Amino acid sequence: MAPRLSDPAPIDAISGSAPVGGSAFRRRRRGEFVAAAAILLAAAALPLGIDSVYVENILVLTLMYAALSQSWNILCGYCGQISLGHALYFGIGAYATTLLLVKFGIPPWFGFVAGGILAALVALALGYPCFRLKGHYYTIATIVIAEIASILVLNWPWAGAAMGIQIPYAQPSWLAFQFGRSKIPYFYFVLALAAVTWLATWLIEDSKWGYWWRAVKDDPDAAESLGVVVFRSKMAAAALSAFFTAVAGGFYAEFVSYIDPDSVMNLQLSLLMALPAVLGGIGTLWGPALGAAIIVPLSELTRSYIGGSGKGTDLIVYGALVMVIVLLRPEGLASLLRRRPGAAVP
Amino acid sequence: MNVTRRSVLLGSAAVMATMATRVRAAQPKEVAIGVLYPFSGPSAQVGVDAKFASETALDIINNRHDLDLPLAKSAGLPGLGGAKVRLVYADHQGDPQKGRAEAERLITQEKVCALIGTYYSSVAVTVSQTAERYGLPYMSADNSSPSLQRQGLKFFFRAAAHDEMFSKGMFDFYDWMRKKGTKIDTLALFHEDTIFGTDSSNAQLKFASERGYKVVADIKYHANSPSLTAEVTQLKAANADVLMPSSYTTDGILLVKTMAELGYKPKAIVAQAAGFSDKALFDAVGPQIQGLITRGSFSLDLAAKRPSVGAVNALFKARAGKDLNDNTSRELMALIILADAIDRAKSTDGEAIRKALVATDIPGTRTIMPWKRVKFDAQGQNEDADPVLLQYVKDKLVTIFPPQAAIAAPIWPMGA
Amino acid sequence: MLTASSIAQIMVSGLLTGLIYALVAVGLSLIFGLMNVVNFAHGEFLMLAMYATFGLALGLALDPLVAVPIVMAALFVFGAAVYLGIVSYAMRARVNSGMVQIFSTFGLAILLRGLAQYFLTPNYRSIAHSWLGSRTFALGPIYVPAPQLVGALISIAAFFALWLLITRTDFGKAIEATREDADAVALVGISKNRVFALGWGLGAMLVGLAGAILASFYYIYPNVGGPFALIAYVTVALGGFGSVFGALAAGVIVGLVEALTAVILPSDLKEVGVYAVYLAVVLFRPRGLFGSI
Repeated sequence: MAPRLSDPAPIDAISGSAPVGGSAFRRRRRGEFVAAAAILLAAAALPLGIDSVYVENILVLTLMYAALSQSWNILCGYCGQISLGHALYFGIGAYATTLLLVKFGIPPWFGFVAGGILAALVALALGYPCFRLKGHYYTIATIVIAEIASILVLNWPWAGAAMGIQIPYAQPSWLAFQFGRSKIPYFYFVLALAAVTWLATWLIEDSKWGYWWRAVKDDPDAAESLGVVVFRSKMAAAALSAFFTAVAGGFYAEFVSYIDPDSVMNLQLSLLMALPAVLGGIGTLWGPALGAAIIVPLSELTRSYIGGSGKGTDLIVYGALVMVIVLLRPEGLASLLRRRPGAAVP
Repeated sequence: MNVTRRSVLLGSAAVMATMATRVRAAQPKEVAIGVLYPFSGPSAQVGVDAKFASETALDIINNRHDLDLPLAKSAGLPGLGGAKVRLVYADHQGDPQKGRAEAERLITQEKVCALIGTYYSSVAVTVSQTAERYGLPYMSADNSSPSLQRQGLKFFFRAAAHDEMFSKGMFDFYDWMRKKGTKIDTLALFHEDTIFGTDSSNAQLKFASERGYKVVADIKYHANSPSLTAEVTQLKAANADVLMPSSYTTDGILLVKTMAELGYKPKAIVAQAAGFSDKALFDAVGPQIQGLITRGSFSLDLAAKRPSVGAVNALFKARAGKDLNDNTSRELMALIILADAIDRAKSTDGEAIRKALVATDIPGTRTIMPWKRVKFDAQGQNEDADPVLLQYVKDKLVTIFPPQAAIAAPIWPMGA
Repeated sequence: MLTASSIAQIMVSGLLTGLIYALVAVGLSLIFGLMNVVNFAHGEFLMLAMYATFGLALGLALDPLVAVPIVMAALFVFGAAVYLGIVSYAMRARVNSGMVQIFSTFGLAILLRGLAQYFLTPNYRSIAHSWLGSRTFALGPIYVPAPQLVGALISIAAFFALWLLITRTDFGKAIEATREDADAVALVGISKNRVFALGWGLGAMLVGLAGAILASFYYIYPNVGGPFALIAYVTVALGGFGSVFGALAAGVIVGLVEALTAVILPSDLKEVGVYAVYLAVVLFRPRGLFGSI
């Protein structure tokens, strides 16, 4: 039976857990949480040792992509509906936040939430017809929907159309979400966002949803009987995934202070949201963060230090590395972190 | 754009006040300038050409050349003890966020004293904002969006014209032709859907309505479409007196080929440069567009009256294998003007260079451009950067307008 | 308002363009139908074929039509090589193989664009003189450019040949059998690996054909494949993954819808028409028009 796109391996194979409920399981869960807390603290302390705005920028981007990929992972990694159109939600968040601020004077914090809710609603509306599509048909549907949205915004004068929208300079403050030259507050915000998405994933793993999805992936025929229940949980996952993606989009708009359809709604962005999860391990807890930690600095550093020549060497390096990582470790680099003697792997 | 000058002034004043006092170092041996262009992605060739232009300018600045251009006759910057200029290149990949990241890297790590670039107007927004925050100048070499100087930034400077000035040049030409008895009543606009196409068509629509020209077709198309047949069929049906394309090289090539395939021969084409100033386009479809007119910043035939034009073009051609064009001439000249300001400032301090830029007053004859002069207005725009109109005849671009720069009469219609 | 003859012109051109889209898409559909792999470097295969045709025109003064068989052969080899060197490893992934295939070919696409830029520069090329490139036929008020017409005819011929290959030859039967049950075919002496490699070669060869034809009237540069690839994915999905006839039908539909939308709506929205048609179709037929997988 040819492998299906919407058929990543059951989570068990990666996390290697014994069936639900055992004390080993509880211990593992606690261990994950403690590890996460430790990493969070260490990450929070990072800016103290870093002096360079350029490095801070890389950290912010890494965390943003970690959050984005983790959100993507909720729907696509665990649920198995591979979306390559998540730039739609990113764009909704970016534009909602920016338009609310620039046209109505509403502070960004409300914009983030409003954008998130709007994106969640759109995800629900789209999920309804789209979830009946399987595999690549679903994926292509997500791509074209995002493209349609991008083209529509490009032609929408009130939203800036091709000219984009600039967020005007404001005195540095948390309310205005602007901080002059410093990137540290942005860092903490996006660190918090990454932490929240991680937490959401961790909670989902040990929840009804997680079990249903695993069951469906292990035994697709079971899906028939679980039908409606699984569908509802997928809708919820889609909404959650869209919400966080949109918040990150709103953040990005504030971070860069200028958005246009090409920078927040293009197909490449959708692929870049999925890439860290693929490199790190789809459907795993740590995969997206790990993948982001590798691919974002790689992409930034190759562009900065070997990109100015016009010869395309940075593309060669980046492309080759993506291929190598994906091929050598198809289950993702997170699998390197796991050592389970005797774990059964199908 | 709602940035008020006052708020940005307050902001940058606050920023600069918190900067540690600068120790006036001994004269630097080297002055670094950050150069941002797209070096990968669909516009990579623009970056490659911009690099040639920048290196040519660097050669003129750092070495002795017997040319009547600022800094040509000296080696390095005499105002800084002969310090040489060093260019640090960065690729922004057409992304405003990456442009900002690179600008910050160039400023904080490479310690550049000024920035120049960027070809994409969207990237110029974030790069100019970054320059403003750090208190050093950004010289827009080849961005043409008219909205850029309206951001109210103190550290933004543009030596070349913007799309409104370019479009005005086109309509001045139409008015002039009309006075001579040529019938020009209807126009067809053909523009791509990014900032460039939007700015260009907005300016053209404005002038058309102000000056009494009828726009019979306004075709907005998606850049890099695999097929333009439907669009060209509509242009053919409209059959305007003048076709006005605002397209990049790829779409320009496809446009011309499709017109030939569909048997559409416009009476006249007046292009907004971009693709229509790119040698690659003329190599591809030159024979089909004899008589095409395009706006330009640069007249190669000025070399007959001004030796420096020919000499600089030769220096560029030795590196790039082709003549200077609309883009590369602006990129080259802007870098020289920037370096000249640094030289007059006798300092690498951002504010000092800014003051020197504000004080710039270079007569057009001391540049390679057909400009009246280089003098920045309150918004940082050089309003005297007069554009020219060039016509493609045989295999050369010949200046036909304005009359004082023209070396030949326009061929109208283009097939005549 | 457009006249009837203008609209007819647009539809005819849309049809011809659509047949070329179909040709670009069918290689993708074939590979997917065979082994459930979506090649995200499909646009770059097209780009390489166009550069190869350009190179032959420049270096050996070969007209693109003449170069077609050479380019096809070269792409066949390249496709098989990509399978053997990359995709076969991707398919060994026990987990996430769908995503692994997509992203390993995604990486390949970036790598190929980078290599093209490095060795060939990002400058825009085109073949200045080709036998087809300068001709256009006027049928009444409608112009039918020779390259597109010949391209469309070649496309139809290629589909016919493909149909014959799949239904009448042993290789074609091997492909069908492998597609049905890739693991069982070993029992009847068919090497799955060899069939896959040949399948990739065949798919790439078809893209090579499309690239050689396009090169006679289109510009060439490292990023040229992008828009064609996106259209190809939508075309394949619309027609149904794995269905050769589906790719043909869908290509024609996409070409016509795109052309018609450019007239009804502002031209830069023409792709929206295509995407909307795709969504409408899969709403009622979740496997595309003729998909069986």
